[in-house]
Amino acid sequence: MAASLSLKDVSLHFGGVKVLQDVSFDVEPGVIFGLVGPNGAGKTSLFNCISGHYRPSSGSISIDGTEASGSPPARLARLGLARTFQHPALQLNASVLQNVLLGGHTRLPGGPVSWALRLPYTARSERAIRTEALELLDRAGLAWAADLPADELSHGLHKGVELWRALLSRPALLLLDEPAAGLSHGEVEQLIATVKRLRTEQDITIIIVEHHMGLISALTDRVVVLDHGRKLMSGTAAEAQSDPRVIEAYIGKDAADDAA
Amino acid sequence: MSTAATVRRPRVRMILTAVLAVALIAAPLALPAFANQTLIRIGVYAVAVLGLNIVMGYTGQVNLGQIFFVGLGAYVTAYGVNHGWNILLVFFAACAVAGLVGLLVALAAARLGGLAIAMVTIALPIVGVPLAKRLSDFTGGSQGTSARFTDAPDWSGLDNDQWQFYIVLVVSAAAFLLARSLVRGKYGRAFAAVRENEAVAASMGISPYRTKVLAFTIASIFGGASGFLYLAAVQYTSPETLSFGHSISLLAAMVIGGAGSIAGSLLGGAYYVFVPQLTNAIDPNLTTVSQGAILLAVLFLLPGGLVSLPRVVRRLTRRSATRRSTARPAAETSQQTPPAQHPVPDAAPEGPEQTERQDGP
Repeated sequence: MAASLSLKDVSLHFGGVKVLQDVSFDVEPGVIFGLVGPNGAGKTSLFNCISGHYRPSSGSISIDGTEASGSPPARLARLGLARTFQHPALQLNASVLQNVLLGGHTRLPGGPVSWALRLPYTARSERAIRTEALELLDRAGLAWAADLPADELSHGLHKGVELWRALLSRPALLLLDEPAAGLSHGEVEQLIATVKRLRTEQDITIIIVEHHMGLISALTDRVVVLDHGRKLMSGTAAEAQSDPRVIEAYIGKDAADDAA
Repeated sequence: MSTAATVRRPRVRMILTAVLAVALIAAPLALPAFANQTLIRIGVYAVAVLGLNIVMGYTGQVNLGQIFFVGLGAYVTAYGVNHGWNILLVFFAACAVAGLVGLLVALAAARLGGLAIAMVTIALPIVGVPLAKRLSDFTGGSQGTSARFTDAPDWSGLDNDQWQFYIVLVVSAAAFLLARSLVRGKYGRAFAAVRENEAVAASMGISPYRTKVLAFTIASIFGGASGFLYLAAVQYTSPETLSFGHSISLLAAMVIGGAGSIAGSLLGGAYYVFVPQLTNAIDPNLTTVSQGAILLAVLFLLPGGLVSLPRVVRRLTRRSATRRSTARPAAETSQQTPPAQHPVPDAAPEGPEQTERQDGP
């Protein structure tokens, strides 16, 4: 079920600003893939291209061999793509359970007339998805929060709720945009354990954009390093961390020389 | 905080629903004609407000043209009745024509997004009034058109106002039940997601465009149904029915009743009918001023609309209860109340802004 992803010469321009230039890489099904690079490297822009929120200026993005660039995000979501956002985007006055349930949208059958008439199968599917959402929350140790309004939770838990919301859609390809941003040390450990568990229990491809090198080293099979909208290198996290070009991109040429 | 209430709720709710149903069925037999007519008009406008609530309260799309669909439904009803159509056919035609026009408008307007939808919907009643005057073959022109089809049949033994009450009751109860099921579950969450953040909605597989078109079309169908009921109650419609001012009153009624609330729509209908009566009784020369004052007072005291009154009262009583029990340790009391004492504003979206900077390499 896990999806493969292939990018070929993806470029993105905003007016004269070249945000991404000819980025190409492949992600095999079932791997955890890291997308790293200094601030402003274009990681989140690339993410938005993959998830359909931006349309690349040129190049192709294919998911499981089907061309995805140019498709609206809602269609990609129905094809099995799910994502979280850098800044958790929850409905703060709705309950945590309702927020998670939103992720189940594509799995609920029936149109508005069936739901307005409350046909038995709509009620059944709603009950089933609700049970599943509660189980997800329960396993995450968040059962106590299910009925609380989301704004009563901490930032760390907001990120958790976003992750569970994305997972309720049973994605084949999951994009995590800076999942560790703003988390405490303990929360990052928990996140790493959660993603590891996901990988063993579900057939899923995961792509992570992250600054937190600890998390990237602990989780990813392969990484691509972006700098100024270009692919700098690809390899394992360890290779990336010792690559002089990467060090230079992060801390500048002079500093890199001083360090050497 | 409300766990005890939610546990007890199902049975209480069932009893309340039964009592309400019996009261509504018995009411027209016991009440004087004037009271019945007031209740009928509340039902008529509650359905229009309900539709407006789905597109605006739930989905967050500004719609200033709801009265246009009410007028359209009323005209279609008058036309059908005067051409001797079956009354059920008339009802479905009123809903379908309004829904179809709503769908076409939404297909175009929802592409524009944001305030453009509001501008297009302003145009509807503004174009609608002169159009209703011109198309006199269908509408009777400035004179308007009347259609009598809700006189009580002899076998029923009812007065006309009682018969009309039951027609309005059946249609509006059906509308409210359908809307209630729709906004709970899949589509309610989709509407709210589009209202809160379209990018998030889209990444959940919810097309913002299609959701807006859906909500707008539903609002138009309810507007058409409300127009049918309007003609059932008033038996006459003219271009004045769909004037822009009424549309703004409907909007005010929705906000006062409670945006994003089904029960609030009913309260909105009541507000729409009662407040002009009330302000006329105070001083007929000052109706607009006193209406404005009431609007402001409600918005200041109950920003969530009249439907939030029980919640606010509960919060106030709880607060005074904790204040009275100062004997308790301070830590305990403060633990109990934070959600009540600090109603966190709905939008505090950019919280993690600083954390991102901290996290830089």
